[in-house]
Amino acid sequence: MTRALRRAPGYLFLGVSALLSVLPLYFMAVSATNTSQDVLASRMLPGGALVENFLALVASQDVASAMWYSTLNAVVTTVLALVVCSIAGYGFEVYHSRGKDRLMSFLLLAMMIPFAATMIPLFQMFASFGMVNSTAAVILPAIATPFLVLLFRQSARTFPHEILEAARIDGLRELNIFFRIFLPTMRSTYAAAAVITFMTAWNNFLWPKVILVNNTYQTMPMLISNLRAGYVTDYGVLMLAVLLASLPTMILFLVLQRSFAEGITGAIK
Amino acid sequence: MNKLRKFAALALVVPLSIALAACGGNGTASAPASTSAAASGPKSGTLTVWCWDPTFNIYAMNEAAKIYQKDNPDVKINVVETPWDDLQTKLTTLAQSQETKQLPDIFLMQNNAFQKNVINYPDLFKDYSQSSVDFSQFPQGVTAYSTVDGKNYGLPFDNGTAITALRTDVLKEAGFTIDDFTDITWSDFLAKGKVVKEKTGKPLLSGQAGSADMIMMMLQSAGASLFDAEGKPTISNNAALLKAIDTYQQLVKAGVFAEVNSWDEYVGSFVNSNVAGTINGVWIMGSIQSAKDQSGKWAITNLPKLDGVDGATNYSANGGSSWAISSNANYELASDFLAKTFAGSKELYETILPSSGALANWLPMAESSVYAAPQKFFGDQAVFKKVIEFSQQVPKNNTGAYYYEGRDAVSAAITKIVNGTDPSAALDEAQKAVEFAMK
Amino acid sequence: MSLLASASASGQVSGTAPGSGDVTPSRKRRFGIEQRRNVTGWVFLLPAAALILLMNFYPMAQAFILSLKTGRGTRLNFADPLWYNYQRLMQDETFKLTVQNTFIYLIVQVPIMLVLALILANLLNDKNLRFKGLWRTAIFLPCAVSLVSYSLVFRTMFSTDGLVNDMLMGLHFIDSPINWLGQTGTARLVIILGLLWRWTGYNMVFYLAALQNLDYSTLEAARIDGAGSWRTFWHVTVPQLRPMILLTAIMSTNGTIQLFDESWNLTQGGPAYTSMTMSHYLFELSFQKNPNFGYGAALSYVILIMVALLAAIQMKVGDKRD
Repeated sequence: MTRALRRAPGYLFLGVSALLSVLPLYFMAVSATNTSQDVLASRMLPGGALVENFLALVASQDVASAMWYSTLNAVVTTVLALVVCSIAGYGFEVYHSRGKDRLMSFLLLAMMIPFAATMIPLFQMFASFGMVNSTAAVILPAIATPFLVLLFRQSARTFPHEILEAARIDGLRELNIFFRIFLPTMRSTYAAAAVITFMTAWNNFLWPKVILVNNTYQTMPMLISNLRAGYVTDYGVLMLAVLLASLPTMILFLVLQRSFAEGITGAIK
Repeated sequence: MNKLRKFAALALVVPLSIALAACGGNGTASAPASTSAAASGPKSGTLTVWCWDPTFNIYAMNEAAKIYQKDNPDVKINVVETPWDDLQTKLTTLAQSQETKQLPDIFLMQNNAFQKNVINYPDLFKDYSQSSVDFSQFPQGVTAYSTVDGKNYGLPFDNGTAITALRTDVLKEAGFTIDDFTDITWSDFLAKGKVVKEKTGKPLLSGQAGSADMIMMMLQSAGASLFDAEGKPTISNNAALLKAIDTYQQLVKAGVFAEVNSWDEYVGSFVNSNVAGTINGVWIMGSIQSAKDQSGKWAITNLPKLDGVDGATNYSANGGSSWAISSNANYELASDFLAKTFAGSKELYETILPSSGALANWLPMAESSVYAAPQKFFGDQAVFKKVIEFSQQVPKNNTGAYYYEGRDAVSAAITKIVNGTDPSAALDEAQKAVEFAMK
Repeated sequence: MSLLASASASGQVSGTAPGSGDVTPSRKRRFGIEQRRNVTGWVFLLPAAALILLMNFYPMAQAFILSLKTGRGTRLNFADPLWYNYQRLMQDETFKLTVQNTFIYLIVQVPIMLVLALILANLLNDKNLRFKGLWRTAIFLPCAVSLVSYSLVFRTMFSTDGLVNDMLMGLHFIDSPINWLGQTGTARLVIILGLLWRWTGYNMVFYLAALQNLDYSTLEAARIDGAGSWRTFWHVTVPQLRPMILLTAIMSTNGTIQLFDESWNLTQGGPAYTSMTMSHYLFELSFQKNPNFGYGAALSYVILIMVALLAAIQMKVGDKRD
């Protein structure tokens, strides 16, 4: 009894946070089923316009294509980013030296400048490679980020050195130690990194918009931007598109969240 | 050593996989076709166009393509849907990185942004002097937006003429008709607005707090601008501007003009019958008509005019856009296409008006029977003919290259004035801000 | 720069450097292994470093050169004096206002958000908690939602006759609706609330991941010693989470100083620039107004310096290997 009482504030705090977090999402989901007029009147109940909104959406926009290119970009970016950045973060921490620490600090500077300032030189560079309008040009700048490298470096800091030494004594090669021991141990870090990278890549807007000059490889955020461009915005259709665009990240989180915290099962599995 | 070799292999593999990915989605830049037949006879080629609204200008462009293709079956029009904000970002990026070969043949541009872009990025445009477009068939007030150094850079497309749209049912409840709001002054409007507010509880107008749209419309209606003909700011001691701000403040204070937080809320305010009308560019009719339950309850008229200001009229404009031909265009084909459609086809404008509400700036349309048809939604008023008539009386506005700087400085000044700053002091400050931006 | 480097370099006074195990082979051989491992480390980080150098530093160098030029559009020339744009920033009232706004967001929002995220992560890490997945998902989801819906929903909720005003009036906290985005104080508040809503769950995810890597035996030991849950959290969990707290603090600082989305989407910088951020101003200078890229580039370097200084301080305080 007292135990349950002691837990009450925790549950209350979680409950309020969860409710506040979900309320706008609920509004988004409900609005996808309402007419534009009802959305503007902040109607909070489901309506009957879902089919109508869907038909209007697919009639004006190529949703399937945008979903495909968004997925392609986000998946390729995430896979490459995880490999490239985790091995780098591991390299920075496990083999750390003064030079590497200096390099890390230097690389960090790369994320401290607003993209609006570097976008045009970057565009010029890709144009000189003849890569305007290519999905590769969308993906390449997003693979290696100082943030992900730092995330893996910070996580590697909690990776016990005894294990590393034990593996070396067992005769495991350095690359194998990374793949066979570090990678499985850091599953939750990889899950977090995957969710975050996928989400960033999925929602990336400004750079794809600029580098994909013609719309062949249009992504979902670009499609949503189209829906708001006219003199008249159909808010029901807009919210449906936004809902569709939000689903993949939500699903990915649902799938990967098992890796986050199944309660602490011990330091080393 | 063995280990090292493995790492070397890895170092090779990673960039390789990246290179592979790079090859994966390589697209080909759409080089505008330069194949054009001889000067006479049917033409061929592909024109790429950037514009942004599927139910409005994209639709109009596709209809124009159909009409042009009747005589030139081998011409293709490839529309790339590009919202205005993104279009501006792309233009800036391409110009700044000198990659003009990525430009389409034709793009649509907001009238207010024309001077800024032509002056800063002349490399992006080709003017209309080599085309057969007759610019005398467009209102001078509209072509002025896209004229730089006497050369035309834009073919006016959609009409930005300002209208007063009011709910006749609400007016009736307060004992008024639409005629009571025609050819009046703002002080009349304010007095009648107070009566409407008192009897029905509804403000006549609404708008975004901190937006200068309403004031800019008032200003233009008196033939005044934020800049003089040389492009110098004329914000401080601008009598028309002071009067406009004063009028606006009185409207807000009396509750006749409801300030809201955002554009979405603004649209919502009349779509949901919270206010009894609105004043804006004629394109706002599209949003008004999205409230299908209000059919027959609306009517339009001209704007109130400023009291005691020289040159005050009942006409103004807000927004509107024009077609530009890019420096990368197949000029002959692009200019011929535009001249024969948007500057020469009654059929085009008669097709696009009923289904999209895209109202022409092309003056010959004033005699069109389609434009004279009564509109059920607006209580059987011939609204479109009316707007064409209004459009010819709109005074010219000097936007200058620094229009957006000027407008934003005035918006900031309005906010300060509403919070109690002395109007002329706030405008002096705005003038200084614009001068700083131009430095 | 050198501050950053020395901050992290000074952190490596630890006995766990690779190759310094208790096995003591001959000096020469040990040196060989260490050197080889050092090279291994360089090879591991090479792909990422090369990509970052090419994709970030090359454009950054270009931007720096640009920051020494002046003129509108493509008519750019080297300024006289070269640092003219930086001088001009010091006289720019709008820029000063945006610096002030940005730092208000930073000082108010980042600490609240990180503390909230830590508390939430710790609550969620409780073995006996029910509906764990539900809470976790609900709290994370806001940052998975696209910006369009987020800004639209927020504007709807905070509109004059929106949910927030209705609720406050229903509870008799206020008599008439508040024009949230029309006043300086409330507009800034909406931005801060928006940031908290969108990013708290995001940071929570990193803490959850870090908690998962924690040494469980230390928590168990604390519990056996009879430490309360608060004391365990503060004295055992938080110190072990330090690397991750440092990371999130640097990231949030960086994100807030470069804040663009909320200013652009929620308030459009208004009223009268009083909620506009530095990045928003930069974007306006470059893409909305008469393009002044040299000036914009100078502004971006001022942002870079601010973030770098704050990151260096944070690393000095938080980056210890022990």
